[in-house]
Amino acid sequence: MPAHPLQRVCYVEDDEDIRKIVRMSLERVGKLTVEVVGDPLVAIDAMKTFKPDLVMLDWMMPGMDGPTLYRRMREVPEVRDIPVVFITAKASEKELNELRALGAAGTISKPFSPKDMAEQLRSIWASLP
Amino acid sequence: MSSPSAAPDALAPAREAPARAEDGDRGSDPRKVLADRVEQLYSQMPLGIVFTLVIGAIATYELWDNRTRELVMFWWGLVLLVTAARTALWLGYRKSGNRVSEARQWLRWLAISALANGANWGFAGAVFFPSHTDEQQVFLAFLLAGIASAGIPTYAASWPMFAMYAGAVVLPFAYVLANFGNRLFAEIALLVPLFYLANVGIAYRLNQVFHSGYRLRHAYGRLTEDYTTLNKRLERQLVELDEARRQVEASGRKLALFAERAPIAVLELDNQGRIQRINHAAENLFGWPANEVAEKNPSVRILIRPEYHAEFDKRWQELMASRVPLAHLRVRNPRRDGLEVVCEWNVTPLVNPEGEIVGVIAQGQDITRQMEADQLKKEFTSTLSHELRTPLTSIIGSLQLINSGVLGEVDKDIAELTGVAERNGQRLLDLINDILDIEKIESGKLSTVPEVLSLDELVRESLVLNQGFAERFHVRFQLGGALLPVKVNADRKRLLQVMTNLLSNAAKFSPQGEAVEVTMEDLGERVRVSVLDRGPGIPESFRSRIFGRFAQADSSVTRQKGGTGLGLAICKRLIELMDGRIGFAERERGGTVFHFDMPKHAA
Repeated sequence: MPAHPLQRVCYVEDDEDIRKIVRMSLERVGKLTVEVVGDPLVAIDAMKTFKPDLVMLDWMMPGMDGPTLYRRMREVPEVRDIPVVFITAKASEKELNELRALGAAGTISKPFSPKDMAEQLRSIWASLP
Repeated sequence: MSSPSAAPDALAPAREAPARAEDGDRGSDPRKVLADRVEQLYSQMPLGIVFTLVIGAIATYELWDNRTRELVMFWWGLVLLVTAARTALWLGYRKSGNRVSEARQWLRWLAISALANGANWGFAGAVFFPSHTDEQQVFLAFLLAGIASAGIPTYAASWPMFAMYAGAVVLPFAYVLANFGNRLFAEIALLVPLFYLANVGIAYRLNQVFHSGYRLRHAYGRLTEDYTTLNKRLERQLVELDEARRQVEASGRKLALFAERAPIAVLELDNQGRIQRINHAAENLFGWPANEVAEKNPSVRILIRPEYHAEFDKRWQELMASRVPLAHLRVRNPRRDGLEVVCEWNVTPLVNPEGEIVGVIAQGQDITRQMEADQLKKEFTSTLSHELRTPLTSIIGSLQLINSGVLGEVDKDIAELTGVAERNGQRLLDLINDILDIEKIESGKLSTVPEVLSLDELVRESLVLNQGFAERFHVRFQLGGALLPVKVNADRKRLLQVMTNLLSNAAKFSPQGEAVEVTMEDLGERVRVSVLDRGPGIPESFRSRIFGRFAQADSSVTRQKGGTGLGLAICKRLIELMDGRIGFAERERGGTVFHFDMPKHAA
């Protein structure tokens, strides 16, 4: 369990509507500070500035998919230690296991419930070392 | 006189010895030789009978005398009687059907008749000679000599028969001569036996000649017979061979026809990979004319993209070495016009009895369309899962946020409508998920992740997880008796999915206020989990297809209560994937019991 409660969350997602809903859900229901990024190519720069406690990556995005972005993050010292949660609609059990093995903090399946999303994130946060 | 059978060597074969046992009889059947001799003897009879009558009549006329009238008449009567008997014998022989098998019998009768005939003449010589004039005596002597010698050709086929016959003719006469009291006659009487013996000797020699003649003839006949048999057998074998050839040709033609008319491409290659022949389908598929291929025998590499030639050569070598037929080989084959088709090939080396590869048969099925269809299906599935789910996520998410009240109070009518919208959005999502599930299961892509788990805990968990359904449909979920602490080897997520399906169904169809019961039961090697409801039961007509796809007894229920009609189909497939069984039964006092049986985990 990390020393401080979950506060700042960054979400990388190409679909604008989903970004809106997730931001609203996490801010209104979860009382979290949220940064949403639409373009995965600028996501790492955004994270450097925003310094989130936790990052949520959409699995499928045009330009760069979530797993690739995740691997990129592992190569950047400023963001490499940030826990990552994948939001996915269709990743197979096998792929998810591989990512967990690589160090992903958890997954939330799509479609998610905006009511419960903050709750889910907090429980993942609580399970972290 | 002894019976003719006393002279076995001449009259009959020594014994019923096997036909080919001795060298002398090699190739001839003694029974047939005997039969032939009997035949020869009988064939002389008519002439003998005519002679006897003519000469007998002349003798009767010449010897007619008042003194001996009764005697001559008696003799003539005797001659007629014996002749009649001989004629009867001859006729009997002619009409007989068993001349070969009864040859000995016929020979015996003939010997008796010959003796009787000879004795007639001997009687004439002995009785009439002393009582007649000199001229008549000369006539008689001449007559008897002639009659005796005439026997030689007649009985040449059997010398003992001649000996009996001639003896009967001349010996009584010689006796009479010897006792006549005349020196000349006594001397003649001494000569008669000598002449008789000389004649018998001649008959014996003749007989030998006849005998070897017959044997030769029979050996030849036998040879001819063997030859004919051989010929017949040969002919039969030829016919059979011809029939076999025709059958082989026919099945060859049939095979050729199969290949020619087959809807798949068939290529006949030699062991160097040169195409010898192609069928109609191959011609159509690849655009190479069959006659051109048959003429030029191009390498099968014309059907392989140049960049893969090296790999092809390697695999060809492997095939030649291993001789193991290849199946389901997917290859992108260039056509003559440059377009490409994807084919699935079966490649079979043909090995002759000496173990050499004499050729290779390649059968290729055009699966281009199938691949396209598969691709289309894959794309469709992907579209369903991503392109439909993403907007649905936004829709359902937005509605959920509104309905949850975190954004503030909403007008009651609007809340009702957004509630309808959220429920139906959820329904659409369920449908998509179910379709994806069933598609995955049916294409064999769904893999379960089995683990050893406590079934009772899983059941308890499912009741908690699905409490929402109970609330929504105003029913209670409750345990019917104690749960059994049983471990099973199953996929946790999938088993929960099955429980969710069964519980939601039960909740949906139960009247408000009723209880949905869950029980566990020990079946020995298996354990049964049952979900019991108090619903309307399953209509008879629907029972057989309840586990089918898009199965719903009443489609109006879908609109009222949700559900895709795929739930039970998915449950059945999931349970079976985990080696379980699923079923249902009518419940006493109304309602339905759904149950699944899982094999217990052997600890």
